[in-house]
Amino acid sequence: MSVPLTDSRTMMAFKAGRAFRRPGTNFVDASPVKGAIVLSKDESYLVHFMWKDRTTGEVAEDLILFPGDAKFEKVSQSSWGRTYVLKFESSDQKHFFWLQDSSTSRDEEFVRHLNRVLEDPEIIPVWDVSEPQASTSATASSSTTAGATPEQLAQIRALVGSMTGGTSEEDQFSLTDVLTPQNLLPLFHSHPDLLPSLFPHLPSEFLPSSDPTPHQMAELTEMLQRTINSPPFRASVAQLDRALRTGALGGFVRSLGLPESAGTGVGAFLAAIAEQARQEGGTEEQMDED
Amino acid sequence: MSDDDSSGWQLTESDPGVFTELLKRLGVPYIVDDLYSLEPESLAALQPVHALIFLFKWVPELASDKSNDNAGHYDTDFPGFFAHQTVNNACATLAVINALGNIAPLTAGPQLMDLMNFTTGMDPQTCGMAITSADWLREAHNALSPPSSISLDGLDLPKKSEDAYHFVVYLPALGSLYELDGLKPYPVRHGEFDGSGEGWLKKAREVIENRIGSYPIGALEFSLLALRDDPLPAMRTRLDVLQGSVEDAEFVDLMNKISNENSKRERWAFENSVRRHNHIGLAHALLLALAKAGKLDLAKAAAQRGMKEYLERRKEMGLDMDES
Repeated sequence: MSVPLTDSRTMMAFKAGRAFRRPGTNFVDASPVKGAIVLSKDESYLVHFMWKDRTTGEVAEDLILFPGDAKFEKVSQSSWGRTYVLKFESSDQKHFFWLQDSSTSRDEEFVRHLNRVLEDPEIIPVWDVSEPQASTSATASSSTTAGATPEQLAQIRALVGSMTGGTSEEDQFSLTDVLTPQNLLPLFHSHPDLLPSLFPHLPSEFLPSSDPTPHQMAELTEMLQRTINSPPFRASVAQLDRALRTGALGGFVRSLGLPESAGTGVGAFLAAIAEQARQEGGTEEQMDED
Repeated sequence: MSDDDSSGWQLTESDPGVFTELLKRLGVPYIVDDLYSLEPESLAALQPVHALIFLFKWVPELASDKSNDNAGHYDTDFPGFFAHQTVNNACATLAVINALGNIAPLTAGPQLMDLMNFTTGMDPQTCGMAITSADWLREAHNALSPPSSISLDGLDLPKKSEDAYHFVVYLPALGSLYELDGLKPYPVRHGEFDGSGEGWLKKAREVIENRIGSYPIGALEFSLLALRDDPLPAMRTRLDVLQGSVEDAEFVDLMNKISNENSKRERWAFENSVRRHNHIGLAHALLLALAKAGKLDLAKAAAQRGMKEYLERRKEMGLDMDES
């Protein structure tokens, strides 16, 4: 199972169809369309509860859920027994589903894990220690319920970490929060000797044809401040951040004079830049041994 | 025409600075300004206005029925200029060409004049295809948008859902108000206007306000632009004439107007430059500078804390959010 790296991380999925209330009644009619409930986290770490049509692949419903707000409960009045409703603390909305896996043996497990994630998305559902990927065809493995040992959890975390190519806690920050005016404006002020290294990267229309006079230096500094505050600059940084999270920027970062390892993640990128700064000399950065 | 067939036309931003830059490249003496209101005083300050550009997109959850604008009648014999939109991404430039094509007499650069001559008598579809096939026009259009980061291609970065605005032009022709919508089969005639006073703008105001009012509140995101004469040349000429009379109220007023106009142009020029620029090199240089100054670790730690707090706050507040 490939784990999508760039936009979302699928946490779990199981076969389910939708059911709709017959208007004016309390009856709920099952729609025969084959589907799946998919739970995933997006790049902002928000949990998405999606329903996907298994025939067309279309995601027909995509709800962003807040921890503790939603519960997935069995509809007891359903004689058939596999009807569930997604209901909310924060609203009266109800979404009805029916489980479609040919075997009922994992129903309880799916629903239990789903509810635990809805309660707290930080939980990594532990299916079976030896096989961390949920497989709908597997026979029900020995139940690992609420009490996974710390060792088992660490094992899962390591496996998940390696699957997602290094998007670890290390990388739980955004470049857009590093290259902020709050960080950069004081830098311009305290280290004016570094400004000449920055000016050449401004739009060429701003640059004088020869060495800048003091007056031009002041103007360029102002252009630099305006640039880092501009939406296109912030968008570029956000795009660079997203690209680094793919872990596939090794080729590109060489053009910046960095080693390929710098292209494997945001943390790696910064670490390589810190090293580049040391090599170029004149750094006040504390050596960070980790 | 598929949505994926951009035929080499990049999506542009729809702001006055971008439009005005395009007009400059086309060699016409006009600019485009934001219109914050359709009130007579606002419009009067911008006269002479040659066309209004109405740009909008539907907020999908609120506007299920997109065809709320059924006013006016198709004019199948419209003798003026009208081109169909054959490439989605070219919509902004196409709206501008539809507007310019109906301004007579038109002074423009040689390429645009040639294009206008070439398309005389063509049906809207062929005309639209001729417009989007003009390489020089496509290059002028593409020069306005951010650089496609060639180095980041092939990484399948998720595109933020950038629904394009749709552009509709309102202008006067042959004594009537016309609506030129590149996605409609013909120009739409909204009836005659009274030439006195505000002239066609009065009729345009009615038609546009009705259109906006026909959507549920919040269902439409829209903006209005005015295509008008560039006021600077006339203001500068007048200033030369008034030269020297500093006590003159008109002189001072004119100086202020020119100064405001120049500030606006400078801001547009800055925004256009920054928009076209590839900032990756600057981002790297800034991070390197932070490292050399010993500030990178702190910045990273603060960013990590910030992310943690942000996630916690969302949990607490239980805010309902749309994906943006």
